[in-house]
Amino acid sequence: MRFLLILFALLLPASAMAQSQVALNSQVFVERTTTDSNGAARTSLEPPGVVTPGDRLVFVLSYRNNAAAPATDFVVTNPIPESVVFAGTESAGSVLSVDGGQSWGALAALSVRNADGSSRPAALADVTHIRWRIAEPIPAGGGGELRFRGIVK
Amino acid sequence: MNMITRLGAAASVLAVAAGTATPASAAGTTAGSTITNNVTVNFQVGGVSQTSVSASNSFTVDRKVNFTVAEDGSATTQVSPGQLAAVTAFVVTNTSNAPLDFALAATNRSGGTAEHGGTDNFDVSNLRLYQDTNNNGSYDSGTDTLITYLDQVAADASIRVFVLADVPLGRSTGDVAGVRLTGTASEATAAGSLGATVTQTAGANTAGVDTVFADTNAGGNTARDGIHFDEDDYTIFAANLTATKTSRVISDPLNGTTNPKLIPGAVVEYCISVANAAGSASATNVAISDVLPAQTAYDASFGVKVNGTVTSGTCNADGAIAGSHASGTVSGTIPSIVAGDTRTVLFRVTIN
Repeated sequence: MRFLLILFALLLPASAMAQSQVALNSQVFVERTTTDSNGAARTSLEPPGVVTPGDRLVFVLSYRNNAAAPATDFVVTNPIPESVVFAGTESAGSVLSVDGGQSWGALAALSVRNADGSSRPAALADVTHIRWRIAEPIPAGGGGELRFRGIVK
Repeated sequence: MNMITRLGAAASVLAVAAGTATPASAAGTTAGSTITNNVTVNFQVGGVSQTSVSASNSFTVDRKVNFTVAEDGSATTQVSPGQLAAVTAFVVTNTSNAPLDFALAATNRSGGTAEHGGTDNFDVSNLRLYQDTNNNGSYDSGTDTLITYLDQVAADASIRVFVLADVPLGRSTGDVAGVRLTGTASEATAAGSLGATVTQTAGANTAGVDTVFADTNAGGNTARDGIHFDEDDYTIFAANLTATKTSRVISDPLNGTTNPKLIPGAVVEYCISVANAAGSASATNVAISDVLPAQTAYDASFGVKVNGTVTSGTCNADGAIAGSHASGTVSGTIPSIVAGDTRTVLFRVTIN
């Protein structure tokens, strides 16, 4: 599944995407907490300049319908990069997968099979994919942004 | 970013737990790795499924230089005055996401409170470092290698380093010598040689792999300087011996053994008692020698009794004949005197 997605990305260079009916953009930011002169903690999102293990990331997925007609059954699927531990989402309406995208649900409803055959409740670190299914049609010219968080392994 | 509608502003339950996810290993993703995010959209227009759209972005994981030098164990090393090659152990752990060399230096502490609470009041000498080559946790002479740096320490790897030092003579029980092992992050450029000291990437982020110091300020260290140290100490545990010489008249030629007097021909018994103070180290092979007064003659028939005991300050008539006499000097060696015990050397002379 992941391999296929990478293949799509390779087959669709930026110019091709620009001509597509939907413009899609993936960005990543590093969340840094600094203390300002008043001693208050200030969290900012910075471009991924210096990134080391343990850094908190925010992935920002933005989309826009460039077609003349509304887009429906809009499904955004994002495999969690291999070196990133999923750390939750800020955008409602997501479902998660802990088995490489075969089954989906809320984290609390998912379980992971142990080596000995028993199963345990899924944890954030087990998440392999996140998906949003946007119920409302996206009007022509409309768009939105989805976010999820990760930590560099 | 503001013009794009946020679909959900409220942080979900999942986001609250964001800080609790921990990487699988301490070192984490190897420096220089590329993290690529791929996202795909499937959608319909006019009820017809359209070709899916994908996007991706990538960034490079930079080098996080982090490591610890920590004492192996949590107790002082007990040493005797004059002990050679007294061992303390440290562990150097590379928690960076890249292999590193570590320059090492062992130094004496100068005064103050040592690692295990005592006051540092002397220095050890001849400090040298050995790598625990066979990784068995104890120093093996001839097996473990003399080093000045650690070569090519992999991410997440730990290496035990022994500090060996010589202890001066003349120190008393409770004296403390603190030692410090300092590691400096160095480039793992080539196997078999110490690389250059690692420096942080100055200024703005570069497209390549940048270097960030992440070492902590634990235990008096300076945070983020690429240097880390820890201390351990040696505590003297010495024997504390006191020798006492007593004598008593056994007999004289006129009174026999009844109220004998110190007249010529009288037999006098000497007792040399050696006491080892409570709380001291056991003393072994305590050699006693005593030059006889010129006016006395050694009583060869009694011999030299060694390792006798003392009761209430009085020497008992025990011990085994083990000493010797030559040229007016009596010699005897007490095999062992434990803390709080007293042992004797007994011999007799005749007054000329």
